[in-house]
Amino acid sequence: MVIVQVITGGLLLGAVYALFSSGLTLIWGMMNVVNFAHGDFVMIGMYVAFLIYTYLNGGPIEFVLASAVVLFVLGVWSYTGLVRHVMSGTLLSQMLATFGLALVLRYATFWIFSSNFRSLPEDLIGGTLNLGGILISMPKLVAGVVAIALTLGLHGLLTRTAIGSQLLAVSEDRNAAMLMGIRPDRMQALAWGLAGAGTGIAGALIATFYYISPSVGETLALVAFVVVALGGFGSVPGALIAGLLIGVIQELSAYLLGPVYKDVVVYALFVAVLWIRPQGLFGKF
Amino acid sequence: MRKLVVLGASLLALGLGWDASAQSTIKIGVLMPLTGNAASAGNSSKIAVELGAEIVNNAHPELAPLPLAATAGLPGLGGAKIELVIADHQGNPSVGQSQTLRLITQEQVIAITGSYHSSVTLTTSATAERYGIPFVNGESVAANLTERGFKTFFRVTPLASDFAKNYMDFMADLGKAGHPVKTLALVFENTEYGTSVADTVRTYAKERGLNLVSDIAYSANTTDVSSQVLQLKDKKPDAVIFISYTSDAILYVKTMKALDYLPPVMIADNAGFSDHSFITSSASLAQGLMNRSAWSIGKPGSVTYKVNEMFKAKTGRDLDDPSGRAMQGFLVLAEALNRAGSTKPDAILKALSETNLGPDQVMMGYKGVKFDAKGQNTLAATYLIQMSGNKYVAVWPEKSAEKPIEWPYKGWK
Amino acid sequence: MRWVWIALGAVFLAYPWVLAGPFYERMGALVLLAAISGSAWNLLGGYAGQASVGHAIFYGAGAYLPLLVFTQWGLPPIAGLPAGIAVSVLIALVIGIPTFRLLGHYFTMATVAVAELVRLVVSNWDLLGAAVGLSGPAVSRGWWDLSFRSSIPYYYIFLAVLAVVLLVTWQMERSRMGFYLRAIKAGDRAARSLGVPVRRYKLYALMLSAAFTSVAGSLYALMVGFVDPDSGLGILISIEMLIIAALGGAGTLFGPLLGAVILIPLQNATNSWFGGSGSGATYVIYGGIIMLIARYQPGGLMNAWHALQERRHRRAAAVEPRHAA
Repeated sequence: MVIVQVITGGLLLGAVYALFSSGLTLIWGMMNVVNFAHGDFVMIGMYVAFLIYTYLNGGPIEFVLASAVVLFVLGVWSYTGLVRHVMSGTLLSQMLATFGLALVLRYATFWIFSSNFRSLPEDLIGGTLNLGGILISMPKLVAGVVAIALTLGLHGLLTRTAIGSQLLAVSEDRNAAMLMGIRPDRMQALAWGLAGAGTGIAGALIATFYYISPSVGETLALVAFVVVALGGFGSVPGALIAGLLIGVIQELSAYLLGPVYKDVVVYALFVAVLWIRPQGLFGKF
Repeated sequence: MRKLVVLGASLLALGLGWDASAQSTIKIGVLMPLTGNAASAGNSSKIAVELGAEIVNNAHPELAPLPLAATAGLPGLGGAKIELVIADHQGNPSVGQSQTLRLITQEQVIAITGSYHSSVTLTTSATAERYGIPFVNGESVAANLTERGFKTFFRVTPLASDFAKNYMDFMADLGKAGHPVKTLALVFENTEYGTSVADTVRTYAKERGLNLVSDIAYSANTTDVSSQVLQLKDKKPDAVIFISYTSDAILYVKTMKALDYLPPVMIADNAGFSDHSFITSSASLAQGLMNRSAWSIGKPGSVTYKVNEMFKAKTGRDLDDPSGRAMQGFLVLAEALNRAGSTKPDAILKALSETNLGPDQVMMGYKGVKFDAKGQNTLAATYLIQMSGNKYVAVWPEKSAEKPIEWPYKGWK
Repeated sequence: MRWVWIALGAVFLAYPWVLAGPFYERMGALVLLAAISGSAWNLLGGYAGQASVGHAIFYGAGAYLPLLVFTQWGLPPIAGLPAGIAVSVLIALVIGIPTFRLLGHYFTMATVAVAELVRLVVSNWDLLGAAVGLSGPAVSRGWWDLSFRSSIPYYYIFLAVLAVVLLVTWQMERSRMGFYLRAIKAGDRAARSLGVPVRRYKLYALMLSAAFTSVAGSLYALMVGFVDPDSGLGILISIEMLIIAALGGAGTLFGPLLGAVILIPLQNATNSWFGGSGSGATYVIYGGIIMLIARYQPGGLMNAWHALQERRHRRAAAVEPRHAA
């Protein structure tokens, strides 16, 4: 019975991982830009939720939407104001730029809101669901449903719509896309905006059951990177499955081997997967 | 680049010149983690130490039993005022060393207090030792800090062995009151702080014949703690002791609610559970939580109550234990400095080693302050406090209790 | 080229005498230390274009072994330096063989994962002090402990090591290996079709890079006298090497040195000036400057220098014929 609870918990946690990795899949996986500031985007989303709840009395729907809008703008700005100018440089210059951005975002938040930990009330999105003795945390369940919806939406957008094929064209070959009459910069900016919006939704939802602090992004970002790489770059469904997988593995190994070993197992498995499949689980080579 | 550095140097020198103009001030260095993961606790300690300097520098007759409170400045040094030079070590042992060097050689501080993390205190106090500068630590608990044979290092805070013994005595008392504790679980973060406290608790539990049913180490700043909670739920210990930093402390109480788990007795070992951020964000989920603390606000009108009011006026919240211990460390240093009547390191060290404060002369719940040959305060002690409403109140031992103990742990209910 | 070496040497030799004071001496030593590790990283990450975010493993090996030989056998810490190099090169072999199958981001992520694995294992390994870490001699037992109060001896030791690292890099740059690595950087597949033994040379670069990074770690441990999993193996250590090399110019001889000369004083200055306020301004300014440099000089600062020089040459070349006429 406990083991079922552990696996359930793992799936829920994995859903949360998938949720906050979805934005990274788009930027890193599709646009081939490493965004070191991803975790801090999540953090900003959490603070937007906190502010809307505390000062404007907004509920979950309001603050999730607000966070999506704010992060859309931040995403677009990050591209047009910063990343666009380093695209000509190497991979390293992108890392440099987004690392600087991450520090600025993290510590500007720190400056404004201080280093205090905050949290939202427990019961904003329901409490705990009891399914025949198996406890399911409602906020995480909602996060899971939204993660699946976001993944399907993103996948649909990329594979079924004109905008999607233009986005893909730009990520495949910028110059060729330009010759086809696509404006690569506009498409890239849109991708960053969409990724930002997804990340904002994730941050706002996570804020309902997690603590909020300026450095919370650090804790989350590394997981997101592993999720995206394990799923395979450029694969949106891959990130969802990888997220769930990592969640379950972490919970199982934490329960069976001890919490200090859960990340050991995850990283070891990750390296092993890359050895066998250098393109990740679902990536194209 | 040399130009840049020279520019920096002259700017720093400018700062120095400006300070030198105010003659009757004495500089004391304060090292705290003001950015990084422990920033919340570090900034709170910084404000508490600043309050300490305010109490010393201005006349506060209402706080009379505290040394130096009633008078303005340090009478032993002609009424000189203390100026704090605060530095951020970012939780990094090497940055801590660099900043210690800056404090000693650029700012010319005559003594140092800090640095929260035991790992940073280890390197910063080593640098201070090499320069012969007195270092008074108010809050780092790693046992090895006072085992290095240093001449300049003094520590005011109680150690793991003090509070591990407290927990055992407390649980024995609970047994006498009809709530026997036979099985114990230990959940601790696996850096130096958590492991060293857990080791000590384990030793004492064995001595008292408690059955340790669950012994869980975890990595701090983790994304999820549900497996630990499930583990506990499965083993059903009579009491659980948590040794955690703030982020994990918040996650534990949230997760315990989500997984509907309430141990009969939940004891927290200070740190994260004492962080004011934990109290403001999670008090409603942790009703009846026991915690170790040497700080108690006390009854209205008492010295501690007034100190708390002053802290509240600055920050809008109550003083917490780690910040209080940092402040006490500073006050002990100031008192010795005044007695030394000199800013020479040797005189200060001699005064420090002769420190002899009674229970009324300290704001924390220590039995006083008196250092042994290794520089450890032999009179340090702690209370146990319990979360009630939106704050902790002292409940154990009985003679310092403000309220009777509530049993069992209620959590969010 | 020669005058650059001489001028640089003179500036760095004179530095402690120009800017006296223990804090500046230590900062100078830290600049050199960062330049050593940045240059070491540069061999693989810059010249061969394999962006590793796992170099903390080698740095950590270098930092742990000197303190391990001291805590275990009471040997002078410096005795652990060669052992650190040996362990690092061995780890480099073990890691390099599987990970060099990976390209681009996958390689980077694999290095992150391996480094985190190592950090977690060390955090639970009692011989290495687990989460508590290892300390060096609290009080120096003699000169052989290389435990000095002043930073000046460290400064000159670091300077000598940096000179060696730069010399080796310079030699490599002009050798066949340098040519191969640049070909690999331009593209794995293209390099292979040119007949470059890609994997073997990547492995050489990694081993050389690991050895020097390990030396940097050992020097750090000698000076600070303490290492724990965070300060020896944390991911930020790997990132800082990358940042320093990228800022100055990855794949250029003096890039990492330039990066260190800018970043380390910047860190120290922002922390000394704004750190005490506890506002976080330190990192807003530090991060902001990194961001701005990346924004306006995406190729690193050395590139800007080279571009400037090229323009001057071109102008000189354009002027000359007129003189002739």
